[in-house]
Amino acid sequence: MTSRRVAVTGLGVVSPIGNSIEAVTRSLAEGRSGVRRLDPALCSRLRSPIGAPTAFDGAANFDPARVRLLDRVTQLALVAAGQALGDARLDLSAEQRERCGTFVGSGMGGAETTDAGYRTIYAEASDRVNPYTVLAAMTTAPASWISIEHGLLGPSLTFSTACSSSSVAIGEAARRIQSGDVDVMIAGGAEAPLTFGVLRAWEAMRTLAAEDPNDPSASCRPFSLNRSGLVLGEGAAFVVLEEWQHAVDRGAPIRAELTGYGLTSDASHITRPSIQGQARAMHAALASARLAPGKIDYINAHGSATLQNDATETSAIKEVFGERAYSIPVSSTKSTHGHLLGAAGALEFVIAVICLERHMVSPTMHLDTADPACDLDYVPGAARQAVELKAVMSNSFAFGGTNAVLIAEVPRPR
Amino acid sequence: MSTLETLQDILVRDYGLERDRLSPDAALDTLGMDSLSLLELMFKIEDGFHVKIPGDPPSDLRTVRDVVAYIDELIADRAAKASAGSGGSEAKVGGIKM
Repeated sequence: MTSRRVAVTGLGVVSPIGNSIEAVTRSLAEGRSGVRRLDPALCSRLRSPIGAPTAFDGAANFDPARVRLLDRVTQLALVAAGQALGDARLDLSAEQRERCGTFVGSGMGGAETTDAGYRTIYAEASDRVNPYTVLAAMTTAPASWISIEHGLLGPSLTFSTACSSSSVAIGEAARRIQSGDVDVMIAGGAEAPLTFGVLRAWEAMRTLAAEDPNDPSASCRPFSLNRSGLVLGEGAAFVVLEEWQHAVDRGAPIRAELTGYGLTSDASHITRPSIQGQARAMHAALASARLAPGKIDYINAHGSATLQNDATETSAIKEVFGERAYSIPVSSTKSTHGHLLGAAGALEFVIAVICLERHMVSPTMHLDTADPACDLDYVPGAARQAVELKAVMSNSFAFGGTNAVLIAEVPRPR
Repeated sequence: MSTLETLQDILVRDYGLERDRLSPDAALDTLGMDSLSLLELMFKIEDGFHVKIPGDPPSDLRTVRDVVAYIDELIADRAAKASAGSGGSEAKVGGIKM
């Protein structure tokens, strides 16, 4: 990436493993899982009644007049984005708000609203459809509401590339800052897919993990020989990205520099991941950061715990990093927070930045016996502390084949 | 409870409005009730007053008083239909008897 540098100055998160950066950091350090058995009302007809819900009550965060306009996905997004802006200590009244924008990734948008609308129409055979259904369900609602709430007058875009949506949102936001179009971007993702309709659809595809009979919280087992699939989670994560000098001039806390972004398409199969597609995305990210593969100190893997992904991703990492692949810690934090679909990439990039700042490597939990096809250092069972990290990579790969890879580095003057 | 009081309860509970703003003369737009809110309110009126709203609500509802009057009309309609319905069914029964 060239002359205009991109600083990460704010982080915000509402997730199955905590609703603040401090809470998420503690959960990562302790390997605490947010996966659990879902509300019986939701899951009585599910084979595998598990998910990774977020402890979040919309009514406690928004007044009644407002909350009825906002699907859960937008509520989560507004709270996480507000946290990130607060963390960045950004006084928007002092900013040229035409040069501030909002990029959001979401796969399913207002799924609860969609579910409720169909229940009214089909299950209840009623025509009393909530007049706010379109406005609450549209995938663009989270980005629109963030722009409205904070008066951000620059570009407001929504990216929907399935499981890489929010990595794309963050990468594209960084590009807009580099290009000079904008100076400040709030970028991230939100997803609220824990409805019966969505869970049942994913189950129908046979991609969801079986419930661990002894410990439901251990059901998601990336890279493990006995992994059985992904666990759906909900939440939102956002970063504030800022042109470097802009951040320096206002004395902002610079948490990291976003230096690399790689974006590729598999162009092969709608679900089956491609070693080449994933490897090309990692290569592209390294090239944009002008980093040699040897300079990456930690990889937050996509690590979805599906049979296909984890072996493919392992092969792709070996293809990119060669022998060095065996000495880079690679972990899947989805083992504890589940798969947040359109919000996954943002949450995992935030986690990668947390690791960079705290000199910590997050663990892959519930990994006792690795798949022989997965033979890297997955940091099984416990976080590592006091690890010197200078550059970290976060991988996001998606159904449909859109691969997005982000690289963050320790901030340093140049 | 009067129609006004029941309507005020709905507006306080579901729209977060303060009761002392909900006088009969209060204008709906100053209460933040836009056209979509009003459509949504019609479902709540159907449930709260056990009435059926035929099609869309009239477009000239401007104040709380207008909404109260509309609800009272709906209640009167329901009562009229109920008595016409029971009369009709009596006549039918009568018809069968004959």
